[in-house]
Amino acid sequence: MSGRRNWISGGRWALGLSALLLVGSVPVGAQVDLGTDAQRETGKRVYDKYCSQCHGDTGAGDGYAAPFLRPKPRDFTSGKYKIRSTPNGFLPTDDDIRRVIQAGIPYTAMPAFPEFSAVEVTGLIQYLKTFSSDFEDPEAYAPPLAQPAAPPYSADNVASAVEVYEQIGCARCHGVEGRGDGASAPTLVDDWGDPIRAADLSEPWTFRGGATREDIYRSISTGLNGTPMAGFESGLTPEERWKIVDFIYSLADGQTEPGYASLVTATSIEGGLELERGEEMFASAKPALLPVMGQIVQLGRAFHPGVRAVEVRAVYDESDIAFMVSWSDIQANRNGENSPHLQVEELVSTASGSESDEGGFWGEEEATEDGGDFWGEEESGDASEGGGDDFWGDDTGDAVATLDADTAEFSDAIALQFPRTLPTGIRQPYFINGDSQHPVELWYVDLGYPDAPELWEGRGSAALTVTDEAPPYVTATYKDGQWTVIFKRSRTPAQGIGFAEDTFVPLALSVWDGFNEERGSRRGLTAWYPVYVPPLETVSPVGPMVKTAGGVLLAELLLILWVRRRVAKGTDSGDLAGSAT
Amino acid sequence: MMNLAVVLPVLAVLIGIRFAKPSMLGWVTAWWLAAWVVLDFGFAVPVPKTVVKEFMGIISLALAAYVTSDPQRWREVREPTTAFLTERKFLPLLVLVTLAIPAAVAASIYFDMTAPAQAPIFGRTVHPAPPATLTVHEVTHDMQTLDNPYRKLEASDPAAFAVHVEAGRKIYYENCFYCHGDLMQGGGMFAHALNPIPTNFQDSGTIAMLQESFLFWRVSKGGPGLPEEGGPWMSAMPAWENFLTEEEIWEVILFLYDFTEQRPRALHVASGGEGH
Repeated sequence: MSGRRNWISGGRWALGLSALLLVGSVPVGAQVDLGTDAQRETGKRVYDKYCSQCHGDTGAGDGYAAPFLRPKPRDFTSGKYKIRSTPNGFLPTDDDIRRVIQAGIPYTAMPAFPEFSAVEVTGLIQYLKTFSSDFEDPEAYAPPLAQPAAPPYSADNVASAVEVYEQIGCARCHGVEGRGDGASAPTLVDDWGDPIRAADLSEPWTFRGGATREDIYRSISTGLNGTPMAGFESGLTPEERWKIVDFIYSLADGQTEPGYASLVTATSIEGGLELERGEEMFASAKPALLPVMGQIVQLGRAFHPGVRAVEVRAVYDESDIAFMVSWSDIQANRNGENSPHLQVEELVSTASGSESDEGGFWGEEEATEDGGDFWGEEESGDASEGGGDDFWGDDTGDAVATLDADTAEFSDAIALQFPRTLPTGIRQPYFINGDSQHPVELWYVDLGYPDAPELWEGRGSAALTVTDEAPPYVTATYKDGQWTVIFKRSRTPAQGIGFAEDTFVPLALSVWDGFNEERGSRRGLTAWYPVYVPPLETVSPVGPMVKTAGGVLLAELLLILWVRRRVAKGTDSGDLAGSAT
Repeated sequence: MMNLAVVLPVLAVLIGIRFAKPSMLGWVTAWWLAAWVVLDFGFAVPVPKTVVKEFMGIISLALAAYVTSDPQRWREVREPTTAFLTERKFLPLLVLVTLAIPAAVAASIYFDMTAPAQAPIFGRTVHPAPPATLTVHEVTHDMQTLDNPYRKLEASDPAAFAVHVEAGRKIYYENCFYCHGDLMQGGGMFAHALNPIPTNFQDSGTIAMLQESFLFWRVSKGGPGLPEEGGPWMSAMPAWENFLTEEEIWEVILFLYDFTEQRPRALHVASGGEGH
């Protein structure tokens, strides 16, 4: 205490000298604070109830859920914390840890814990420190990097940022358009050898370190420890960093929230629905961003789907309807095979080869070898169609299709699912492949074979069959980390779903990311969303408005006249009902 | 349910009017407006406009019947109305009102016809009545007597009970938390992509008011096992009998109660359906 006071009273000269001496050496804030026994005890109590299921009893990131998660839970024994205010490679501050506990990490399994009291959070921070001896080492600490106030967003920055972005190699991982599709992106691993994806910079709401411009600046400056994302504190001037920030900010038009849709509204267009028109045809259509979840409902689950959201647009004219679906994808996987009806093996994340006792996990089923093989009692070979009429799953039976185990390559694919016929009431088909009483149709295209779209009928996941009906017309393009697939079909097909005016047609999507080894049942999917097809001829409200208002006005005037006449006649002075009684 | 922020002020105004003793016309107008405000804004789940119109028609008729059923009341309404329609001093106001009513009607038609179409809404029953019997893994249970076989260990053998709870914890974090969340509030990492949203077990209106047999039914049969009123086609709840043994289902149920510090509704209070 007294030392500190002297130091300050020593005047400006001493202060300046101290600052000079401290640059680059042991930082000022390097006091080691490991908390009290009571704090660590509180922390352990909280940790054991809320944290250990993912991060493990010893903080090694090996809890119950760890094999199913990607990104994996943090290994606290490493002392490597992703989201910090300190330079790359250094420990986080207590406030950094506090922020992550209270706010969570978006689009990972790390939730926000706003319920914890201040005492609990502080205890938890001190307990986390016990997992790594780094926290006892003053050398591992560094003061937070300067976080200047954000200058106003500048569109000029965006243009000049592109050069910096390419120059320092952002595009190598994050891709030219920032969709996480750079040349190196598929090869990225973290410090534990687990695959890791470069952030999709066009979806700021998924940024681990936060979506505001200040957050992005901090993440660029500090980097993310334990990942290939370096810190650019010394590599880039603050001005250059703000340029990059504004470039990233511009990729999502400044949005920090996804704004998921609850409805897809089709837009009527002129000039005919010709696939050659491509994306231009959808220029006036309102985009609907739909969130994608992993298929974790039926056997052969996808715990970490590769696609997080799909954007859907719809246009139509008198005869046809067309849908454009686009989504970010780390790479176009055009080799390999895919099919909606394949039930793949229940697979634990293979990232580090850890298979946490799969034994009792899938009930009676025996866990087969890890490694992407497809299961099935049958010989591998041709896919066999099942005839089960219930939801699948109680037994695998002969309803399960199998694919040659040697087919190691996985292609991307997309399917639009509609009810086979428009529901008359509220009852819809089951949202995954329909059910026996309420069939669905799938407009399916394996992006390895974009010229051969198929029209499937589903009466449950065990009863999916290719129909011989004319499939929709499809074009598929992959550019700069984005798939864009356009489907076009008659609004009044001979069989299957039609799109009459002024109706709501339920739509659900399935999307397969081949890079993520998705195939068949292992896929991303959405809930049902209504597609609205507005009437082509909209009735002007003016006619009914004038007619009704005129009628009301006339009735009012008649009433007033009638009352006035009666009063004037002196039938009574204000007693209208005189004659009635 | 009701939107208390609307209903309570309306009630307060009506009580105030009771003591202010306004004219019969004022009283009728106040009640008509109160009924409309409550119908249109007083419900947490909005009442469809057509239903509001229907009810307002009925309420208008009822108020008219009330007023005209007694000559005294009728006079109290009629006299000020006639005065308003005839006396010179009211003329500017009369012109205004006469024009305002058709304008309001026209505006209502305009908004009706240009409003974006709304997808049909399905009000699903969250806790529908369970079946009488339940067959899981080829064993048929009577729902009236079905109970968690491990529950009694809580008192008789706490150590063994804790082992089952921990087993349930493992099952939960391998299978359930993606949707129901770490805190069991229904905020898991896939929750934003689900409709209906996952159940919040911390809510005192969910597992705390249900028997464990009800949970066993819901867990083992999942969304596809719901009766029609529960929307079996839209719930993403898996039929866990396809993934878990009977013992594992009971264990994860133990964990739900243990983590949330809730108690299951006791077996002997059984009264059939839980619909609400």
